[in-house]
Amino acid sequence: MLLRVFRRYPMEIILVGMYIFLVFSAPGFATVDNQLNVLRNVTMQGIIAFGMTMIIISGEIDLSIGSGVAFSGCVTAWVTRELSPMLGPYPAIALGAVAAMTLLFFIGVMTGKLRQHFNMPSFITTLGLLTVLSGAANLITGGFPITSFPYEFNFLGSGFLFGIPFPVYIFVAVFGIVYFLMNFTSFGRAIYAVGGNLEAARLSGIDVWRTKTLALGITGIFTAIAGVLIASQILSGSASAARGWELDVISAVIIGGTSLFGGKGAVRGTLIGVLFLGVIVNGMTLLNVSEYWQLVVRGMLIIAAVLMNHALDRQTQK
Amino acid sequence: MTAVIETDALTKVYGNVVALDAFSHRFERSRIHALMGKNGSGKSTLVKMLSGVVQPSRGSMSLGGRSAVFKTPRDAFDANIVTVHQELSLVPELSVAENIFLGRMPRTTTLGVPRIHWKAAQTATRALLDTMGLDISPTTRVADLSVGQQQVVEIAKAMSFDPALLLLDEPTSALASKEVDMLFDLLRRLKDRGVTMMYISHRMSELAEIADTVTVLRDGHHIGSVEMAQSSNEDIIDMMFGDIARAKRPGRKTSIDAETPILSVRNLTRAHAFDDISFDLKRGEVLGIAGMLGAGRTEVLRAIFGADPYDSGEVIIDGEKADTANPRAMTALGLGYTPENRKEVGLVQAHSVHSNLSIANLPQIAPKGLINKRAEKPGVQRQIEQLHIKVDHADDPVSSLSGGNQQKVVIGKWLNTDPKILFFDEPSRGVDVHAKQQIFQIIWEQAERGLSSIFVSTELEELLEVCDRILVMKEGRLIGELDPAETTLTQLYSACMGEL
Repeated sequence: MLLRVFRRYPMEIILVGMYIFLVFSAPGFATVDNQLNVLRNVTMQGIIAFGMTMIIISGEIDLSIGSGVAFSGCVTAWVTRELSPMLGPYPAIALGAVAAMTLLFFIGVMTGKLRQHFNMPSFITTLGLLTVLSGAANLITGGFPITSFPYEFNFLGSGFLFGIPFPVYIFVAVFGIVYFLMNFTSFGRAIYAVGGNLEAARLSGIDVWRTKTLALGITGIFTAIAGVLIASQILSGSASAARGWELDVISAVIIGGTSLFGGKGAVRGTLIGVLFLGVIVNGMTLLNVSEYWQLVVRGMLIIAAVLMNHALDRQTQK
Repeated sequence: MTAVIETDALTKVYGNVVALDAFSHRFERSRIHALMGKNGSGKSTLVKMLSGVVQPSRGSMSLGGRSAVFKTPRDAFDANIVTVHQELSLVPELSVAENIFLGRMPRTTTLGVPRIHWKAAQTATRALLDTMGLDISPTTRVADLSVGQQQVVEIAKAMSFDPALLLLDEPTSALASKEVDMLFDLLRRLKDRGVTMMYISHRMSELAEIADTVTVLRDGHHIGSVEMAQSSNEDIIDMMFGDIARAKRPGRKTSIDAETPILSVRNLTRAHAFDDISFDLKRGEVLGIAGMLGAGRTEVLRAIFGADPYDSGEVIIDGEKADTANPRAMTALGLGYTPENRKEVGLVQAHSVHSNLSIANLPQIAPKGLINKRAEKPGVQRQIEQLHIKVDHADDPVSSLSGGNQQKVVIGKWLNTDPKILFFDEPSRGVDVHAKQQIFQIIWEQAERGLSSIFVSTELEELLEVCDRILVMKEGRLIGELDPAETTLTQLYSACMGEL
């Protein structure tokens, strides 16, 4: 009985176990402030991780999101700087954010089209884009952060609403959207089918390329949202923001039980994966574990999580 | 004449099925022996025993007068029995010489450092190809050769082992007719040099051309061995099929509407696949397409369904011309297709029976993109019940089901789309006898309810049993139409061979 529950919710149970451990052993872990801090820290990567879950289940991947976040923050800051004198700061920021979302949406669509028409693996395209977008962000900023935002803009990334960090609302909203898409729409079904067996999905009348392309595009929008939130948090558009995020985000998705081979996984798992990583980083910091050790532990966790999921899969197949 | 290989009461039993029953025969030296029989006749079992893949349950073999026991393929190989398989086993990126000497390249040393003796390999290859009368350079990359030349290299590789017996398993299945001629030239030259060959093929016309004797198996029994020159094709086909009782379909209750066809195909053509295909499918009809492997049956079905493109021609569904040929558009027009390779492309194996049953009807259960679970669930339950899909729970992965039940899931997913037309491509492949009858029953029941279907099968008996009308295809063309009620198996087989 207990084993069956564990098989069903392995990461949830490990997360709860770790949580209880930290409550008793890590000084300052159980305070409200710290809990809110953990939540705030996971939101930005979490928003992207929900989109990444769709991409990976559809059988693709996006390695460019780290640069995508920096790029969209810089685009927003640049548009704000250029248009504020004409439109005033807030319309300019809004326009900048919309511009960033539109750009990243179409870059995602382009990745999908390259895959469709030239059989270009999204792995390669987005690996290229990782460098391209980083370069573009630096071109926009000229190498120095653009500090064009009014101070009040800081609310988006750092403010509180009803005592909860504002980004958490967006995090919850994005989770809700992706959860809804994946579980209640034909688009979600198509994502699973396309990633599970591309040809079987095609022969069942599913528009396989539209499905993959849309997953990449939507995640582009999420990446831009995270970029705007980061820009708000640091009150500038910086080309060096979010460096290396792609691996954190993909780690969270994998720890959440989604298969890198596509067709299998759930956004609920990704939520657990995101919280798991956030809690463990926070806990280790509070326990005074050195940053280098944190890296080692986080890396090993990814391997352990995948091993465990494989083992559980084999058990259920028996 | 001396026998190169002789079998004595050779028997293979799998469980309680006798795959080959007391096969005793002498295969004489320097001749080409054809082996014939329909699927399940025991000919592949015989070949597997000769090549050491499986071991006989009873009986014995002797090679050149000495008893031969093959425990592994290696044993057969060491006894100089070499098999050329249907699928090529060459490494495309390597040269002809490297392929022929794969794993046994001649070696030499330079300044004490061992290295491959490239020159010796090339000289040996050149010599081998010369004795076979082949004009292929030893240094050419195999990928740059035509399929026919690759098949010839495959045989050259086999010959480099100096075989006493060469087993050729459908060597022409991937070849164009010109390449077949080249291959046959080679086989005749080898025969003149004293090589004994055993040749397996389904193509009657080829056997008449190349074989000296033909040995016919049916249901595990050795029906007979005759000299090719002294027997007609009809004789051989009769030997293959015998006068077995034919399963009869139940009489039709509803009549077929012959007036307005539900599907009309006009001059459908794709280069190198099928040519000028025109036919009508009547409402409520089960139309069969017969033909040998590679006749183009599956290609035509896939093209109509929009899975593959076609060069020219028209597809008209219910009076409407289908302009966009892709599976999505064709599904919307009321077409469904259960593919021949169900495991690979018919199902999402890792997913549940439930989601596989509601993958094709997403537009119906989610008209605005939002899945209506109340519309979805009954569809899943209905198919599980009506098609008798054996599954504990609809959430179980489809991969845990037997072949027959998986096939029913594929059919069920299409019935959920409420199709007007359904294509059944080899629905009985890899399915046990009981499930096969259930599947036929489903096809008939649906036909009575007005579903029009096209049925394709390699098993000719099935076509006669299931269909209202049969079209015959050969080499990408429609060559005839038969009424199954007035056709014998022998006639249908001859028709597929192009001897109407």
